[in-house]
Formats: sequence, C-alpha cells, structure tokens
Amino acid sequence: MNGPNSAPLDTRVVIGSAVLRNPTIAASGCYNRGAEFGAIVDVSRYGAVTLKSITRHPRLGNDMPRIATTPAGMLNAIGLQGPGIEYFLTHEAPKLTSVPTAVIASVAGFTVDEFADVAAAMDGLPNVVAIELDVSCPNVDREGECFAAEATSLARVVEAVKSRVKLPVIPKLMPNVADLKPIARAAQEAGADAVSLINAVRGMVIDVVRARPMLANRSGGLTGPAIRPIAVHAIWEVAQTITIPIIGIGGVEKGSDALEFLFAGATAIGIGTANFRDPLVHVKVTEAIELEMQRRGASSVGQLTGLAHPGFAGKPGARGAPVATKETQA
Amino acid sequence: MPTTSPQLQLATITSREYRPPGFWCVSIRCPDIARTAGPAQYVALDLPGGFAVRLPLGIFTVKGDDFTVLFQEWGERTTRLAHAAVGDSLTCIGPLGNQFSPPKRSGHAILAGGGLGVAALWLLARDLRAHDVKANIVIGARSADRLVGVRDLARHGFDVEVCTDDGSAGFAGTVVEKVRALRRPDVIYACGPRAMLRALCDHAEREGIDCQISMEETFGCSLGTCWGCVVPVRRGSAQGTSYPRASEEARDYDLARVCADGTVFHAKDVVWV
Repeated sequence: MNGPNSAPLDTRVVIGSAVLRNPTIAASGCYNRGAEFGAIVDVSRYGAVTLKSITRHPRLGNDMPRIATTPAGMLNAIGLQGPGIEYFLTHEAPKLTSVPTAVIASVAGFTVDEFADVAAAMDGLPNVVAIELDVSCPNVDREGECFAAEATSLARVVEAVKSRVKLPVIPKLMPNVADLKPIARAAQEAGADAVSLINAVRGMVIDVVRARPMLANRSGGLTGPAIRPIAVHAIWEVAQTITIPIIGIGGVEKGSDALEFLFAGATAIGIGTANFRDPLVHVKVTEAIELEMQRRGASSVGQLTGLAHPGFAGKPGARGAPVATKETQA
Repeated sequence: MPTTSPQLQLATITSREYRPPGFWCVSIRCPDIARTAGPAQYVALDLPGGFAVRLPLGIFTVKGDDFTVLFQEWGERTTRLAHAAVGDSLTCIGPLGNQFSPPKRSGHAILAGGGLGVAALWLLARDLRAHDVKANIVIGARSADRLVGVRDLARHGFDVEVCTDDGSAGFAGTVVEKVRALRRPDVIYACGPRAMLRALCDHAEREGIDCQISMEETFGCSLGTCWGCVVPVRRGSAQGTSYPRASEEARDYDLARVCADGTVFHAKDVVWV
C-alpha cells in the first residue's frame, strides 16, 4: 500500500508513443490551447489538451443560434468553424510552444484525402503528441454518411492517416451507431493507436415560441452529464472488444465520474463541457484518481482500468479490460 | 475598448429583491469583481446543484464589495439563482467581456436600454458622471409594469426618460423613436433587444453618430473558447476572426464572439443578417 511516506504516485498514462503526465485530457472544441482558461486556472494540471478540430479549408461554421442549454448538459452545432490548415500552420501552430502540457491535434475532414493531408501537416508540430480524428463528419464521397458510422469508411481514414504520420492516431467514435464494437475493431485493425469515445450525441431542442428548432442547424451535439451513462456503456463494450487504449469522454464533471470511466475500461479521461462550469474540474479529477490509487494500493493508473469487468485480472501495468467475453450484454 | 483580467472567485449572496412581474435583483459579495468591473462587463455564475453551464449575467450596480445582477426568472439557472438564499455561496468568473469606451470629456451621450438591457448602463452612467459627460438615459419596455431599473439608473442624477410600447408610462413609443427626438449626441450607448439595437445602429449610421452596443447571445463557455455565441461583423473588423474565407463561402462577413470579443461592438462593425 502507498502510505504517507511512500514514493509519489505515478499518474502517467501511455497512449501509443505519447506519455501524458496524468489521465485528464481537455476534449476537443472545449479548450483548444487552453489560452482562455490559462488566465484563471493552471492548464499544466491537464495531462493533455485537445485542439479544436482543423479542416483543410477555412470554415465560417453554422449560423446562429449554435448553443442551447438542456437538462444536465448543452446542445451545440458550431459547424467546425476554423481557419483551415494553412492559416493554422502560420498563425496558430507557433503558439503551441507556450502550451504548458501535451497537445493532441484534432483533424476533421470530408474526404479520406483531407484527413490524411491535414493530419500529415500536423505531424511534428511543437508539443503535439498525438492526432485525434473527428470522424463524425459526413463523408461527401458516401452521400454524407459519417465516417465513424461505418467500419469500412473509418478503416480507410485511419489507414490513410497512419500511412502519413508518425504520431499516435486516435479516431473519435460517435455513439449514434447500431453497434460500436465492429467499428472499434475496424479502427484497431486499421492501425489506430487508441480510440476516444464518445463524441456528442445527436439531439434537438425546439423553441416552442417560434415552433422551430432552437439551433440554426436544427440538430446539434448533446454533451454534458446527460450523456455520461451512454459513454460508460460505450467504454464498457469497446473495452471488451479491443486492446488499444480508450480515451473515455462524455459528461465527466467530478472524480467519481472519471473512476466510472476507468473501471469501465478507459485509460484516460476526456473532459469537455464540465470545463464550462468548473474550470478546476481537471485538478479535482486527478486528485480523485490519486486518492483511489492510494485506497486500492495501485502503483499506476492502468491498474484501475477495467476494474468493473468480471474476471478483470488486475495485472500491474495492464491496460485493463479482458478481451472479448460473453459479458457484452449490459 | 478596455478589458480586465477575469478571475475565478468564491462569492456570497448578500441580498435578493423580487421586482414584479418576474424580475430579480440579487446582490453578490465579491470584492475583486465589484471593485474592478467596468461598464457592460458580466460575470459567469455557477450555482450549486445539478449540472448546468455557467449563467452569464451583466453586472448591474456596484456598491463597496458587492455587485448586483438583474435578471428575469425564466429557465432553470435563473430560477435557481432567484431562489438561492442570502448567505449561500457560489463561484463567479469575472469581470468578463470588454467595456463601453467613454466619450471625450464634457461630451454628450445617450444611454438607451430596452428591457433588461438597462443592466449594462448603470456602471456606464456612474463613469460618465465621473467624466463630467452630459447624458440622457432612455429606458423602454413593452408596458409600465415591465420597466425595470429606472430608479437605480436615476441615482446618478441624469435625466431618465421612460418609454412604453403601449403608452402605459412615459413616452408612448419605442426607445428608438425617443432617441431620434432627442438632441443629437456625440455618442449613443445601447443594450436591449436585437430589433432595437439594429434600429439604433441604422439611426446612428445615417446621422454619423458614434454608437456602441452591448450584444447578447446564448453562451456556452463564457470564456471565448467554444465559438457558440458568434455574431457577424464587417470583414477586417478588429474584433472579428481574421482568417481567410473559403472560396465557396457565400457569407461575406467575419465572426466575433459576443462573450470574449464583445459584448460591446461598434455599430459600424456589426453586420445584421
């Protein structure tokens, strides 16, 4: 057991070749470089921050309104507003040297080539340790079906990106699919170094005064604690299907939520909308994980991963969850 | 337009006042925010209880270590704040947003507030009084019972004219009509419903008057990171996105974040779509 006099806890986690100082990761679209949050909290207490997704061309994004508040969460439809990769490389990338923690770049695209080209341009930028793929965009080559909705499309994107970059590649899976397991398996077989899940859940709010959808885009992505049980279940299922690390994302707002994710099989914890309520959420989550490590005598965070699965071996350093059992029905 | 550095603060509710038919004025003790807040700045409040993103509210009045927020009980977050008890603690991030720029000394200003838009004008009136600026304050609402903040604004000693759409109090007509009838000012400051702001900007542009408006949108993060609360601004405007436009982009404007680039914009920069 780690007592008061034992060595400091090792909170590091490994995602492919990337070593993060702790398992908390600011989720894409909610934090970017952390510059805005840096004025009020210590961004270096994050294990990593994920940049806002970058596309090949500049995008003005969706019309307003883009945000609606919902019970225990928020609906958003920003529409991938961003400067495009060229402007990003000249104006934004140089600022990455001042980010006080590891950076995960996020790439969005509408074709396989766009993903590969933009990811290749991100490979090797200062502080960038991994590349997340926002594969929930519609695939224009396949009548707008989302890349992450179908195993073959997803595999093609992952393979194309892997062939062009050295950094770990992390596709971000979406929950709006009939079965996440074959999609996660396709990601792993295509060479993904980890998966992050879940992306926002599709939702809608109707303005009853105007009798029209609240958002200009009509539908949006639901985030916040409202989607947390969906995320826990997705992590649980995928952890029984693949062996690469899982970055669990979806409604984490406190330490016990992060423990649910770890026990379900996550290696690291993405935190998004909760930053908008409590900018100290990452510090609280890390401290809760440290306490749990002490309580369970764990020498690494990885020993907490997958603990909720029946038959979990609990080997030191193991990623966690056992592979494929009949316990997949929840 | 000046900005200040926001801070995450623990604060305490020190008083709450119901103002029928559904408005509240809640006083919050938070010395660092009360003592540094400028005109049109806001705070992002987190209320104890179930999850909600922070509630952004304009800083209305300031007295010593306390500031007040003026709001309508409407959704979940405003209901929670309205019914919090004196002595309850909450956290605030603030002061957030840019500020109205003061006019030249001894100029003449009109301050126009529609509905809860008056909340952005109290600190401005205080500062204009200190700057020796002459000002008319025009406050409007649909009807007399929905006029709010009039006696608070009157405390600075400026003329306050009220307008109601139905004529149940003061001038029978809109804030914009009243402003048009007043002596031409050097600057118009305004906060209120979108239609009022648009009409005032048109008026100011026609007359060549400097006009600054504090805008409102639904915020996500309140800090400038999520891009949920954008408004269209003239291409090349200092507050907008400076990056290039895609060739297939039909919309000929840049976007600015109300929460972080605003809330105050120059009328000449705002694109009404």
